[in-house]
Amino acid sequence: MVLAEHLANGLIFSSIIVLGSIGLSLVYSIADFANFAHGDTMTVGAYSAFVAFGLVGGLGGSVLGLPFGFFVALLVGIAVAAVVAVVTEKVVYEPLDIDSIGLLITSIGVAFIYRALIQMRFGADFTRFGIQPLRPIEWLIPYGIRITKHDVAIVVSAAVLVGGLHLLLQHSDLGRKMRAMADNPDLARVSGIRTDRIKLWTWLIGAGLAGAGGVFLGLYNQLSPRMGFNLLLIIFAAVILGGIGSVYGAMLGGFLIGMINQLTPVLSELGALLPLVPDEFGIPVGIEYANAIAFVIMVAVLLVRPNGIAGEAT
Amino acid sequence: MSDDPVLELSGVDSGYGEMQVLDDCSLHLDPEEIVCLIGPNGAGKSTVLKTVFGLLTPWAGTVTYHGRDIGGMAPEDVVREGIGYVPQTDNVFNSLSVEENLRMGGVARKGGLDRVIGDLYDRFPLLDEKRSAKARTLSGGQRQVLAFARALVMEPDVLLIDEPSAGLAPNTADDVFGHVQAVNELDTAILMVEQNATKGLGISDRGYVLDQGTVRFQGDAADLLDNEEVSKLYLGG
Ligand SMILES: Nc1ncnc2c1ncn2[C@@H]1O[C@H](COP(=O)(O)OP(=O)(O)OP(=O)(O)O)[C@@H](O)[C@H]1O
Ligand SMILES: [Mg+2]
Repeated sequence: MVLAEHLANGLIFSSIIVLGSIGLSLVYSIADFANFAHGDTMTVGAYSAFVAFGLVGGLGGSVLGLPFGFFVALLVGIAVAAVVAVVTEKVVYEPLDIDSIGLLITSIGVAFIYRALIQMRFGADFTRFGIQPLRPIEWLIPYGIRITKHDVAIVVSAAVLVGGLHLLLQHSDLGRKMRAMADNPDLARVSGIRTDRIKLWTWLIGAGLAGAGGVFLGLYNQLSPRMGFNLLLIIFAAVILGGIGSVYGAMLGGFLIGMINQLTPVLSELGALLPLVPDEFGIPVGIEYANAIAFVIMVAVLLVRPNGIAGEAT
Repeated sequence: MSDDPVLELSGVDSGYGEMQVLDDCSLHLDPEEIVCLIGPNGAGKSTVLKTVFGLLTPWAGTVTYHGRDIGGMAPEDVVREGIGYVPQTDNVFNSLSVEENLRMGGVARKGGLDRVIGDLYDRFPLLDEKRSAKARTLSGGQRQVLAFARALVMEPDVLLIDEPSAGLAPNTADDVFGHVQAVNELDTAILMVEQNATKGLGISDRGYVLDQGTVRFQGDAADLLDNEEVSKLYLGG
């Protein structure tokens, strides 16, 4: 059945979107900053991993069809994205000392700078990790699902990262402070929380996850200097859909938007899927309209719940 | 300990952005005292506490704590000096549990956090029962107690409390005032803003009447309650 295939693709794509949307939401809720350079932070992660993979790609055995070197490169991508974001915060945003609109506009400029630097070094063309593409997993093919072990690796890794973040937020001292700060920044300071430090940790974690998302996006599709920026709008849609300022909302929103995005082709095959509807029936929208559909659904949800799915009801 | 004030504002001007609220405001808090700050809405009572606590920086004048200038010190450092603050509004972390709220109150502690939180549970059994409940699910009175307990986790030397009885039923308000007195008996000096001037002054040693950012009257709490002018202008009688 085709639906299974689209659902599987939706899950893979969602994993990438969720990694992006968490960081955007964290930085928004804790640093009060809508970071338009977040997509390009993903690109930074992807290309850093690309460089690292070039150096250590041959390393060791393999897991899920990926050489150990890839996981080393993944860690490098996460680390570089995190460090670049923290340095940008320290060198650009913090000294500027402007309001959130000013920061938003500045971050658009920062996004252009990241992208230009990457393009100068690597060119504007697509490139790929030098990893042998895999054939779809055999035993899933009869079910109409054509996914590779690499795709499984993406979903599993994303799940591990999201699970780790959940543990951090709920059960660590840092996580509690982050939640306290997102909840009530003034009371956080009044309680003695060094909010500047928590902000830096937030940048570090948010950008690190974005970096991971970028690496997986590069593995799933390919790398290009615009890869992250192209994703930024739907990541924003995911965060807004979930409820801006809520990290768990961002996870849910990311999941839904990723799913909706990949399920768009199903609209043109509706008749074949639904009983009582002629097989020829379908709403012919191509995958190129996937983002538009995602936005339509986002707007529809916001009309009913203006603060997003997980946002406080008004 | 000497009888020098623990906390003293002298000639303080302060405000928000361009708008001046406090105008040459001077007051002090002696060790072990409860001092009540009353005055009409918008008089600047909350602004006094925010200026002491570093949420606002004094434009002029000095704020001293045990004789040292703390004017403009960041709130996260003021807590570490030994001052606690219960804000008038938004004084709990709504999305955190009761237990987490108390833990947040103790982030600046050097140790003994579990002991203090245990003691607070003994003192406030209602918090003990609700340990894992989110603060937003508490009633107004319970929330006020939580806000108060959060500030006590640091075992402060001086506690600033902004309108502890606001929005509470009379019985609940009396409970809260009882807690304030109990904390004071453990040698914590308290500077309290209170809308209900009669009750606030009733448990206080001294009081100040603030109007338009300036102290209009000051004295022993009992004298202020008896003062005809104060009664007429500020106590609605
Ligand atoms: N965050 C703020 N930004 C700008 N102006 C403010 C702010 N908070 C208070 N003000 C203004 O400052 C003045 C004094 O406010 P303040 O909160 O200190 O009064 P108050 O005596 O505590 O009154 P209330 O009894 O209503 O709590 C008021 O005119 C108020 O409108
Ligand atoms: Mg007030």
